[in-house]
Amino acid sequence: MKSIILLLLTISLFSLTACAQKDTTIKDPATTFDYELVVGELQIPWGMVFLPDASMLITEKSGELIHFKDGQKQMISGVPEVYQRGQGGLLDIALHPNYGQNRWIYLSYSSSEGEGEGGNTTLMRAKLSGNQLIEKEVLYKATPNTTKGQHFGSRITFDNDGYLYFSIGERGEKELNPQDITRDGGKIYRLNDDGSIPSDNPFVGTPNAKEAIYSYGHRNPQGMILHPESGEIWVHEHGPMGGDEINVIKKGANYGWPVVTHGIDYSGLPISEESSTPGMEDPIYFWVPSIAPSGMVQVTSDKYPHLKGNLLVGSLKFQYLELLVLDGKEVVKREKLLKDIGRLRDVKQGPDGYIYAAVEGKGIVRLIEKETPEGNE
Amino acid sequence: MKLVLSLLLILFLLSCKTIRKEKSELVVSNAEITISKVKQSDTFRRGNQVYSDFCITCHLPDGKGIPGNFPPLDGSNWLSYNRKGSIHAIKFGLQGPIEVNGEMYNNLMVPLGLSDQEVADVMNYTMNSWSNSNGNLVTEEEGAAVKK
Repeated sequence: MKSIILLLLTISLFSLTACAQKDTTIKDPATTFDYELVVGELQIPWGMVFLPDASMLITEKSGELIHFKDGQKQMISGVPEVYQRGQGGLLDIALHPNYGQNRWIYLSYSSSEGEGEGGNTTLMRAKLSGNQLIEKEVLYKATPNTTKGQHFGSRITFDNDGYLYFSIGERGEKELNPQDITRDGGKIYRLNDDGSIPSDNPFVGTPNAKEAIYSYGHRNPQGMILHPESGEIWVHEHGPMGGDEINVIKKGANYGWPVVTHGIDYSGLPISEESSTPGMEDPIYFWVPSIAPSGMVQVTSDKYPHLKGNLLVGSLKFQYLELLVLDGKEVVKREKLLKDIGRLRDVKQGPDGYIYAAVEGKGIVRLIEKETPEGNE
Repeated sequence: MKLVLSLLLILFLLSCKTIRKEKSELVVSNAEITISKVKQSDTFRRGNQVYSDFCITCHLPDGKGIPGNFPPLDGSNWLSYNRKGSIHAIKFGLQGPIEVNGEMYNNLMVPLGLSDQEVADVMNYTMNSWSNSNGNLVTEEEGAAVKK
């Protein structure tokens, strides 16, 4: 009898955790935040970057590149043709660290170039001349093409030594791609700024390896930053149901997907028996339930005393901006900012020190920290 | 005594089962034959694959969506009464407030980039999964006829 009760208890506990879609560890903010609309009428602003003159380049997933200057939107011509399917499209945009001298702009997008039906993630660099992209060079094109609609990645970041990092998701082939370094997908890549492969990349000389790979075992990373103090590359990625992760990227390391995960499959069945195993990196933080993270920034400006030194991450699924309060590499507190604003795709700190967020169906907004009313402390 | 009781209980349970079985056999109708045929069809099978690749992350495997965020497809009045609108949403995306089963949703669904055949397949899958049934299948031509 006792064992039956125990069994029943276990089953009910299991079903409770399986159904737990409610996020219980996130709090309302201690400080009130508001926003003002800076660029309106955007569909899916996927990536954005500030030019030295404080104007912005904004990618629309549909394949448009927009130059926003002096309150006006200007369409840029010569944008590469994108493979428009599922999560594919025109994706991230970044500037070379020495943009002032060399004018290189880096773009990631899904492309059907090459053999086979379908498409895969591609990295290009180009220059802006007037309202046109010129000197376009494809630096990396993942293979093979596939008609799968999911997990293209991709974010682009440079580190302090001038290396370029970008991510490609596992393209809906979790059993095939992420654990195999001879295949593209489910990887963080490291290149020189001209697309050549650094000679000290971890898999240079490994037979048949894709030598641009820097780390593997990823699912779909859509947030990447250079940590301002440590100089490390921090990446977050979408888990399945539960198990979104933040990882600090190490050379040649395996981040475990799909061998170890804190998430479960969409069918409700477990994916991995373990959530941690020797030889595979544990995340510094994981989300259960998934928030569907996109875009990330660590706040360094003095404009927001409450945010300084902490991470901001967009939530596509629950439509808010998440504050992750850090103590070193540990997330000690989470707060929900800009509740119900819409699917939050990207977040950046502008040259003016303000935080800008790209929201689907809305546009680019500037985050405003409201002063606490007197006597309300 | 205990033995008698348990025997009675087993008998009771068994009888329940037989009665229910008879009843369900009686109500097997043309509609049910149609739906079992649909579920063995190529369009349903392909639609299942499209659903797993494109729809499942928001609408979930049980088609119930996430209350307040992503509307349900299972038992959805929007799907059953707005066939053309549903095809349109799959082809061109959907933005802004909609009411599904008496609840308001205000979110954004992106255009999926599917072929007209895939649009028809995934419609046929969702129209005939979970508690949904509709033997009036969508064809590639019907998918193609819905314009922006």
